Amino acid sequence: MSSAVDDITLPARRGIGRALLRDPMGLAGLVLVVAFLAMALLAPWIAPYDPIALNVKAKFQPPSAAHWAGTDHLGRDLLSRIIWGARLALGISITSVGIAGALGLVLGLVAGYGPRWLDSALVLVFDSMSSLPMIFFALAVITVLGPGTTTLILVIVLVSFPSYARLIRTQTLSLSGADYILAERAMGAGPVRIIFRHLLPNVVGPMVILICMDIPVVIMLEAGLSYLNLGVKPPSPSWGNILAEGYNSLRQAPHIVVIAGIPLVLATLGFTFLGEGLRDVLDPRGAGRRWT
Amino acid sequence: MTPVLDLQNLSVDLPLGGFLSRARLTILQDVNLTVARGESVALVGESGSGKTTLARAVMGLQGMSGGEIRLDGQPVAGKAGLARLRRDATMMFQDATASLSPRLTVGYLVTEPFRIHRQPLPDPDRMARDLLATVGLPAAIARRYPHELSGGQARRVGVARALALRPRLVIADEPTAGLDVSVQAEVLNLMADLRRDMGLAYLIITHNLALVRHVADRVAVLYLGRVVEEGPTAEVFAAPAHPYTASLIAAEPKPDPRRRRADLAIKGEVPSVLRRPSGCEFHTRCGLVQDICRQNAPDLHPTTTGRLARCHFADQNQEQGDHHALEH
Repeated sequence: MSSAVDDITLPARRGIGRALLRDPMGLAGLVLVVAFLAMALLAPWIAPYDPIALNVKAKFQPPSAAHWAGTDHLGRDLLSRIIWGARLALGISITSVGIAGALGLVLGLVAGYGPRWLDSALVLVFDSMSSLPMIFFALAVITVLGPGTTTLILVIVLVSFPSYARLIRTQTLSLSGADYILAERAMGAGPVRIIFRHLLPNVVGPMVILICMDIPVVIMLEAGLSYLNLGVKPPSPSWGNILAEGYNSLRQAPHIVVIAGIPLVLATLGFTFLGEGLRDVLDPRGAGRRWT
Repeated sequence: MTPVLDLQNLSVDLPLGGFLSRARLTILQDVNLTVARGESVALVGESGSGKTTLARAVMGLQGMSGGEIRLDGQPVAGKAGLARLRRDATMMFQDATASLSPRLTVGYLVTEPFRIHRQPLPDPDRMARDLLATVGLPAAIARRYPHELSGGQARRVGVARALALRPRLVIADEPTAGLDVSVQAEVLNLMADLRRDMGLAYLIITHNLALVRHVADRVAVLYLGRVVEEGPTAEVFAAPAHPYTASLIAAEPKPDPRRRRADLAIKGEVPSVLRRPSGCEFHTRCGLVQDICRQNAPDLHPTTTGRLARCHFADQNQEQGDHHALEH
């Protein structure tokens, strides 16, 4: 038997990567995201300088051949700090959004397809979580647990999972009356099979794009908290720290803020494009190229 | 012989909104219906008469407020009973494409019943090919997605899936809806062949009377959630005992406009189940209405020829129908 027909009864997964490469926006997003990931992973080898080595004599230098992105108020190489910063930014945002997404997905599916009382209980949880003002909630948690990367991830997970859960719940609710779900129930399929095999693949699409668009938001949140000295502690080269320090010396060296803004903009664009591209590719019907 | 499916006093009602309100809306009331082994029974009625609700109630998709479902003589009860019912009886939905899970391949979908009921499936690909061959589809279809199928193909995939575990009974909700005439004929012939080859029983839900004439041994007519007439298809069509049945038949488009019966034309809309008419529930639309119809509700009773009808004048209607049949 040829291998081409061997997999005809397997659940589907075909050429997502190839389809993504054919979509110009998806390709652009993929290139940017891969570049940032590579930057984060290869930081020790591609960064030209030590990101925390001081060289006060060479402070506030504009971009030059020796320092492509110039130096900051302590003479640290900005390019090296940005490259190392990618590690922190992506590490924190991908971890926290990933956890929040997985949590939201499962809770949303359970709320949407499960019994009514469970739905009401979970919706109450989602609503009370999202009614908390984010920054104050973050401050409270950080005060109790102390600043640091783990606390930051915890805060982001707690703050962002309700929006995923609610998105998934709404979609699940609208699909649970669909003919194919009824047909599966009529065939005797149990709730676990229906949730994971039939509902999940049909509800994740919009969440993928939401996740990709949320990663830059989380990068910004991390930057904001780091600015308030509640996130990553200096001298660790987080993009937020670089931006905050650059802001302090805006008059002497305006290039710092501008250059530190570039990776934020590119990361935002990259993840957003990738999200859009993935959504188009993940939907086998190819319907609705515009998502609003 | 015990019938495959035996519905006894099946009733469905729904809570009528309102917190603490105990009002309930009757959708189906005391429906009795049997489907014998290898028999094909049609359930007809206008939209809103409860046809689809009945199918869903049988498959356990809709809670019942009363009555009993027996499968091969055994009452369906509890989880095990429902699992047995869902293995031995399958349902084909009205919209064939929409009833296939959109992100799975046809090959997976047709073999899914085995996975659900944990039946041995040593070679899924072979099984998929065999099932598709049974309904006259090429094996290559197995790698397609539901949205890549035509209406007729999706319908055939639905049939293949319904037959995967060799059920005893297939409930088909509008099996020809949305198909063009030549494909309708193909699907009906396929269903007839499978019935002959596998001894399947069908419960066909439709408002297409031509389809009923073509495939059904017996027909039950539903009006506002109650059976108003039941009997062998040929007899019912030749001499309807209930004026509603007569109106439905008269409402069918006829090639010859002179043969239309204006006196039987149905009047007005289906009354709302929220405000059921008093007496005979059909009296508001009946062309033959008498005083007794407004006061007394007729029972479903046997007529002189042994059919069942819910009309005070069933026997007269039947005789008149016979006269008409003789005239033509």
